[in-house]
Amino acid sequence: MVNAVIDHVLLYVGMTLVSIGAAYDVIAGIGMIRFPNFYVRLHAATIGAVGGAALPLVGVALIALASDQLGSYRFGVCMVCLLTAVAILITAPTGSHILAYAAYKARASPREPCVHDALRNFIKEGGEEE
Amino acid sequence: MLSWFVPIITSVFLVAFTLYIVRVVRGPTLPDIVLAIDCLSYDLAVFVALMSLYYGTPFLVIGALLLSLWAFIFDVFISKYLVRKDLGGG
Repeated sequence: MVNAVIDHVLLYVGMTLVSIGAAYDVIAGIGMIRFPNFYVRLHAATIGAVGGAALPLVGVALIALASDQLGSYRFGVCMVCLLTAVAILITAPTGSHILAYAAYKARASPREPCVHDALRNFIKEGGEEE
Repeated sequence: MLSWFVPIITSVFLVAFTLYIVRVVRGPTLPDIVLAIDCLSYDLAVFVALMSLYYGTPFLVIGALLLSLWAFIFDVFISKYLVRKDLGGG
């Protein structure tokens, strides 16, 4: 009885998290299409990584805990999903920061719709060896 | 319950895949393409986890971890190429 109630609660909370994550993912895709610049598209990429990938993976982990079909493998699936969510939360901001630094330093993408460039006096441009 | 929930969520994720692939094809410079491929591989990780739930096979979900770590390696190599103009181990 108590186990059935806990399974239903886990299933519905997981389904809610996966639905919210899918909505975040479509919003990030629309932003990735419509934003004008690489440095603005980084914001949409962050939404797509944290809200669109890490949150649904937590939801999938909760659904897998309540699933009967997986048998005794459900704890393994839950742990791998949580591990993937933590790995995305660590590596996605680091990767986009490295990419933004390299693109700024090598002038690999245009900065044209620019309001304020605070890094102009701090990072040496050109990309060659100094 | 999962038999109607997973196809609906998968179709929503396919819409997001299409938007990212449009940016990959249209992207004017290299960092745009790399950023869109990063988001695409994170979403493929979620897609693989959902497929593992839907078919009830627990070994599919290992691919999700490898996809999410591959995107970071891709970022690091492209950044090193952009700054130093070579991929050597120096």
